Amino acid sequence: MTDITRRHFGFMAGASLTALGLPILSAPSLAQGKPRVVIIGGGPGGATAARYIAKESNGAIDVTLIEPQKTFTTCFFSNLYVGGFRDYKSLTHNYDKVKKGGVKVVHAMAASIDRDKKQVTLAGGGKVPYDRLLVAPGIDLKFDSVPGYSEKAAEIMPHAWKPGAQTQLLVKKLNALKDGDQIVMIAPPNPYRCPPGPYERVSMFAHVLKKKGHKKSRIVILDPKPAFSKQGVFTEGWEKHYPGMIEWQDPKIHGGIKGVDVKTGEVKTDFTNYKPALVNVIPAQHAGKIARDAGLTNQSGFCPIDAASMKSTVDPNIFVVGDASIAGDMPKSAFSANSQAKVAAMVIRSELTQSRAFPARYSNTCWSLIAPDDDIKVGASYEPVDGVIKASNSFVSQRNESADLRKQNYKESVDWYNGISADIFG
Amino acid sequence: MRRAMPARISATRLVVIGGAMALGLIGSPAWSADVEYGRHLSAECATCHGASKSDSTIPDIHGLGEAHFVEVLRAYRAKALPNPVMQSIAVRLGDEEISALAAYFATAKKPK
Repeated sequence: MTDITRRHFGFMAGASLTALGLPILSAPSLAQGKPRVVIIGGGPGGATAARYIAKESNGAIDVTLIEPQKTFTTCFFSNLYVGGFRDYKSLTHNYDKVKKGGVKVVHAMAASIDRDKKQVTLAGGGKVPYDRLLVAPGIDLKFDSVPGYSEKAAEIMPHAWKPGAQTQLLVKKLNALKDGDQIVMIAPPNPYRCPPGPYERVSMFAHVLKKKGHKKSRIVILDPKPAFSKQGVFTEGWEKHYPGMIEWQDPKIHGGIKGVDVKTGEVKTDFTNYKPALVNVIPAQHAGKIARDAGLTNQSGFCPIDAASMKSTVDPNIFVVGDASIAGDMPKSAFSANSQAKVAAMVIRSELTQSRAFPARYSNTCWSLIAPDDDIKVGASYEPVDGVIKASNSFVSQRNESADLRKQNYKESVDWYNGISADIFG
Repeated sequence: MRRAMPARISATRLVVIGGAMALGLIGSPAWSADVEYGRHLSAECATCHGASKSDSTIPDIHGLGEAHFVEVLRAYRAKALPNPVMQSIAVRLGDEEISALAAYFATAKKPK
């Protein structure tokens, strides 16, 4: 593999720098030098793809990662920060090792994609040409999916569904609650980032309140869905650890979520009005703006892909991985994004350097903490079947499992966090 | 020819693997393992096994003896070892894939 790539692409292209320090090459032509891969988004999908393409191509491919933030705080495990099991710093990673791995990291916002010219325009005006583009922008929130909610309203009623200041705001509000206060969570409709996430978060809310000695505080989940991920084991755990504290309402119970009023602090359903001390609104979601603007999405708001390669069905030079993609049976998770990125990286290398291609295979596991040392998991292997990514060999935690097994699950999840963080960021 | 079992394998696992061998679930690793294929497949393992420490529930598999690697993976595939995550991964690995992975990890170094 490496012999072939070195033989074909030993020539180093001369790159010029603009005043912004951004890489600009004259014309996107493979014949002129090293092929160029540009990656938008430095999260689990984008950073994994960048590192694997750079590492496995041994310098034969010029890899540029465009990510506005200099550090990345993971959304995965942020619920453990909410519950007081992790500090915020432990979730934050830099790009030092990504750079050391041969990836050019450009800390700028990708403003648009010119698919005809095959180049990305940065917010500062710089242009970054590509031979293959991998788009991993994650999700954007559809604030108006909940009437009365907005980006501004999120300062009062946090969503905390993107890592950063929102998560810290949620924790601040949670820690300020007094016994007898009420929390209302508006859960998102499918499809959304991290299917068990809202329910793990509620578990962490309850853990914090219980630890503070609250006897009268209550948590209401208003859900637009009739069922949710790992529902049986979550419900069992709530009854065991937090009896009477958590009430989950499906549409048959609440009759419909009418919206929120940030001025009065109210949450309205068809059945009743709530005036909780803390409202956590997790709205509907769609692919990140740059993917939508580039026409990579369909009517669902997410990006259709070829199941065997993660290549966009809209543009053969573009790949989409992670939460922005429509990945069949795979949930929107960091594990999925990391897994999809490796398939895309392998196909991109094969197309650009004639390295060996292998059949796509994907995997995912999601761990969720209900209470200290009580952790549940769900997962599967995935493969393309008739053009769609299909699950096989799936598993999920069962009711009445031993405390030892659940404790082992928690330790495993912490070790997984360390493993996947190293795999993504180095 | 089967290599001697590495010392790090647990007594429990020996019993389980011994049972699996008696059932004919475990054979010798293939001789012509495709290391490049193994390197490709190893990306799936790297998600969890890339930062293991001595006290990790997820073991470090870099430098593991080939015979031991093959036996453990086949035992997971046969569900003779517990943990549904590893069972789910192993069930779709054929003998060729397991041999390729074993050959790759035998000399692979843990990423720094």
